[in-house]
Amino acid sequence: MRDVYIIGAGMTQFGKHPQRSLRDLGREACHQALRDAGISPGDIQAGYCGNALGSVIQGETGVGQNVFWEIGINQIPIVNIENACASGSTALREGWMAVAGGFCDVVMVVGVEKAVMPKGTMLDVGAAELDTKLGDVFPGYFALVAQKHMELYGTTRQQIAGVSVKNHFNGTLNPYAQFQKLFSLEDVLNSPMVADPLTLYSCCPNSDGAAAVILCSGRKARQLAALPVRIAASVLTTGTYDNQQDITAWEVEKLAAVTAYQSAALGPEDLDMVEVHDAFTICEIIHCEDLGLCAPGDGGRLIDEGITELGGRIPVNSSGGLLSKGHPVGASGVAQVVEILWQLRGAAGKRQVANPRVGLAQIMGGSKEGDTRACTIHILIKE
Amino acid sequence: MSEAINPSQSSENQIRIPVQEGLFDFPPDEGQHPALLANSCRHCGKCFFPKRTFCPDCFEQGELEDIVLDRKGVIYAVTVVHLSSPSGIKAPYAYGYVNIPANKIRILAPFTGASPNSFHAGMEVELVLDTIRTDSKGQHIIGYKFKPLS
Repeated sequence: MRDVYIIGAGMTQFGKHPQRSLRDLGREACHQALRDAGISPGDIQAGYCGNALGSVIQGETGVGQNVFWEIGINQIPIVNIENACASGSTALREGWMAVAGGFCDVVMVVGVEKAVMPKGTMLDVGAAELDTKLGDVFPGYFALVAQKHMELYGTTRQQIAGVSVKNHFNGTLNPYAQFQKLFSLEDVLNSPMVADPLTLYSCCPNSDGAAAVILCSGRKARQLAALPVRIAASVLTTGTYDNQQDITAWEVEKLAAVTAYQSAALGPEDLDMVEVHDAFTICEIIHCEDLGLCAPGDGGRLIDEGITELGGRIPVNSSGGLLSKGHPVGASGVAQVVEILWQLRGAAGKRQVANPRVGLAQIMGGSKEGDTRACTIHILIKE
Repeated sequence: MSEAINPSQSSENQIRIPVQEGLFDFPPDEGQHPALLANSCRHCGKCFFPKRTFCPDCFEQGELEDIVLDRKGVIYAVTVVHLSSPSGIKAPYAYGYVNIPANKIRILAPFTGASPNSFHAGMEVELVLDTIRTDSKGQHIIGYKFKPLS
């Protein structure tokens, strides 16, 4: 396998873009990434597009061809990827494999989504699933996980809500974030209850937006990039759907983490910053545990002790996370990696982490029988 | 909160449709308790609900036989949802995971027969068939729920 580098990144502001199309949002992110890398559309040898809901919400399929065509990329292989919230990060892994495997020298990965819903409604996805027909909803499933974590480990509502306070603070420092507003613990706890114990501000918003990165081989990276960042691990796992398992941890994520750490030849103690899938506050607490940032059950203490704050030992979701930056489903996995690239380059502005060298991005997508359909982990290293 | 019903003895001419085929006999036979239709692997003993065609662990070495799940369960985790579901279930409603100890299986189900906030982990519950929601034509969509053990 060859080493794979990221040489360009771009993203749109995340938020509400009612007047803009999927292809228009995707074009903006791709254009930025091309300019950032200093290459032209003709240099791209393959394109990978993550989009989860276009066929459901917009009635649009083949989003990748639409987006890449907007910036003049055609004729080459273009692949559309749907893996729920992990669509963008799965697209990234496909691009990584193409370069690592020696099939391409330069590829582009884009994630794009328009998921803003009418006020007070939830995304209607998975309608064909039995659990959904019986009343299972995304915040409900994660509320069950939170209830069990509270019961088993004594995790408190304040600790869980503290994730939202921290990430919204980070979001105020990120011009690309949907929310640019500080929330107090009381704001989060007293916002309308969605699924007990998760309140409205414990849930990420549905968002519109796009993010793109350009990957290349080592030889190309040395020609093109002043500060190459290497993808040291790219891992995708799927659940066991064993319905007797403990729901306060995700085996699918622990497996991905072990595999990623082996692949990158490092461990959680070597990480300088982490972006995790905080679609709901409780998720960040458990992801920190599954990734080995703390012991199982200690995720709430990370919040109490400020360990995952911007100035803490291991900043988590410096971008504001999905909670504050927003969650354009298919774009989120790519946007996490854009954030890490910017941080490793020292280009993260007011939310810059002090001299990071290693960053990890984790996201997972799709619930099935109390387990998860897809979990990806990417580890990036500044060389 | 609606009471558990015996769908075959409905006094009105309401149309009642199971939420999905193959989960339970509907309408149930006279005098029969409702039961969830499952299967289990003769090789490893694992239970599956809804039924599967292959045991994921034993594949062709397993042979699946039809069983019905025990009607008694214990709540593993519960939440109360305060927004009506996209499928049309009116808020607030309680649902969660129920362990069926006799069959070593955990299933997701709505709760009924008590206030949504009164359910808690460890509570003993039993199976009923009940309306999950009414659709746009006024038809009752029938599914399984669990109520506090009487």
